[in-house]
Amino acid sequence: MARPQTLTVGMPRALLYHRYAVLWQTYFDALGIATVVSEETNREIAEGGIAAATDEMCLSLKVYLGHVAALIGKCDRIFIPRIVDFGIRRVMCTTFEGLPDIAANIFRDRHIDILSCNISVQGGIDEKAGMVQMGRELGYSKKEAKRAYKRALVAQRAADEAAAAAAEHLYQSRGLKIAVGAHAYVMDDDYYGRPVLDYLSEMGVTAIPAYAVDRREARKVTKRLSPTMKWEVSREIAGSLAMHLDDVDGIILMSVYPCALDSMVNDMLVRKFRDSGVPMMHLTMDAQSGTAGLETRLESFIDILSMRRTGKAVKA
Amino acid sequence: MREEAYLGVDVGSISTKGVVIDGDNHILASAYIWTEGDPIGAVKRLIADLDGQFDHDRWAIRATGTTGSARKLVGAVLGATVVKNEITAHAVGTTTFHPDVRTILEIGGQDSKIILLENGIAIDYAMNTLCAAGTGAFLSSQSRRLGIPVEDMGAVALKSAHPTHIAARCTVFAESDLVHKIQVGHTKEDIVAGLCQAVVGNYLNNVGKGKRIREPIVFQGGVSKNIGVVKAFEKALGEPVIVDDNGHLMGAIGAAILARGGEARADFNFDIEDIAFVTREVVCGRCPNRCEIICVYRDGQLIDSWGNRCENGEITVRQAQKHHA
Repeated sequence: MARPQTLTVGMPRALLYHRYAVLWQTYFDALGIATVVSEETNREIAEGGIAAATDEMCLSLKVYLGHVAALIGKCDRIFIPRIVDFGIRRVMCTTFEGLPDIAANIFRDRHIDILSCNISVQGGIDEKAGMVQMGRELGYSKKEAKRAYKRALVAQRAADEAAAAAAEHLYQSRGLKIAVGAHAYVMDDDYYGRPVLDYLSEMGVTAIPAYAVDRREARKVTKRLSPTMKWEVSREIAGSLAMHLDDVDGIILMSVYPCALDSMVNDMLVRKFRDSGVPMMHLTMDAQSGTAGLETRLESFIDILSMRRTGKAVKA
Repeated sequence: MREEAYLGVDVGSISTKGVVIDGDNHILASAYIWTEGDPIGAVKRLIADLDGQFDHDRWAIRATGTTGSARKLVGAVLGATVVKNEITAHAVGTTTFHPDVRTILEIGGQDSKIILLENGIAIDYAMNTLCAAGTGAFLSSQSRRLGIPVEDMGAVALKSAHPTHIAARCTVFAESDLVHKIQVGHTKEDIVAGLCQAVVGNYLNNVGKGKRIREPIVFQGGVSKNIGVVKAFEKALGEPVIVDDNGHLMGAIGAAILARGGEARADFNFDIEDIAFVTREVVCGRCPNRCEIICVYRDGQLIDSWGNRCENGEITVRQAQKHHA
């Protein structure tokens, strides 16, 4: 079978890239496919995405489209997977279901060549089947694609376990600790999430990503919070926060505007966790906001956490 | 040897507040003026006002605190020893005068906040997100539309027996709803009372959502001067609401107390009235983030800068001098 030896695949550094970077990178590497990843989000990329997107899209999707635009001309095909669900009550936000179509429509005049794979357990295609099928469409044998997926899965699992272990270690550290409940693509975005984390560390606070957790365990814990919550990533984050309520001084729920999932889940978490007495703060990022309001909110939140800890009014 | 005094300045979007206090929280001087979109000019007028109010032979200002949305800029201008966010400043100021307070409701020009306290310690808070519906800015724009000075709105509202229901979820919708209610014949009193209720409803549904509001409750910020809103809060909460005579100064008082409690000392002299302060925005071109960096100059000399996301955009005093030479 003819192999597209010279193919270069572009990966937008946004949305689920922040969750599956290792899986995708290892998979393409194992097949010997060259890849290029868009650079960290910066103002240019963000503004490009906001300009290309429609108003109603969430900020993270807008940013994603900016990354897609940044890859045009730098690769042969752009990898935009369709990830629908991992089973019953394990679904992803509809954005991830429509992602290849959204990108194709937004950039219809720029003729981008989208490389996609379908993942929907309820639709009969699990992650393995979807990625093996994509390998076959790229001209590799079933065996080669399976081997590449297996290697990728092992690497991703190791990375996830390492991240969860690192987070567990942080929960044991001294000093003020804040669990950050946010999608990885919000928290780890260099332009929107990073300034928050940088500010927290400048203030001497340890920020711990709630998404870094034993996912199976976290999903189980969420079942006790809400038996019907159906969003895979929200379940992981909510469960993780519930598991570590006693380990942290406070919780920051960081969302982009508008996020349908977070608007429901975060509201529920505030009510469910109220009796624990752990202070919680919402941070909402939108396309307009600057960092001034952000600093005021973070600084005062940290003041409150340190006052609670020391039992004394804050000193300058 | 003169006795120690402390200056606190709170520069908000609408008003600028300042106090001078002594070691026992006595207010030696105070002023409340409009910011009018010019924080540096407002602070100069504020300082001139405070200057004439207390005995310079007896008191010397040894530390200065700034708070409010322009705290950084004004902190640089005044050479502040403490720059603190307004939530902490308000909590510190209010607990000094009301040690048993458990809830602070605050509605200012563009922000609204709730602070929950236990035993004098702030334990939780929330702040409005994304929009300014239901804040002072909302009330003043509606007051212009109705032709009633914002200061008189409270008294007008009290005359109403049947407050008009106004949809206040969003300022834009509220405005069209208000126009509609005027056109179908609701009286101004009822509409103003309805606006006061809308402010309270909006606040409790947004900022106050999910919070346990327990008494004693202190209400402050510019909107607390509106008796109509105070009464609407009492009706909605079923609890008495305290409005301190100095409620509008609490942020400034808190800033002064924080400055007093801090370690840094810097004598403040009132000569800033004669100094030219200029701010300039520089767009850093060293990476695609194009950060907007604010530089503050005192008589042509750079004294501070901020707004850069990374060290590439750091503008040091030395760099600026080199550039100048």
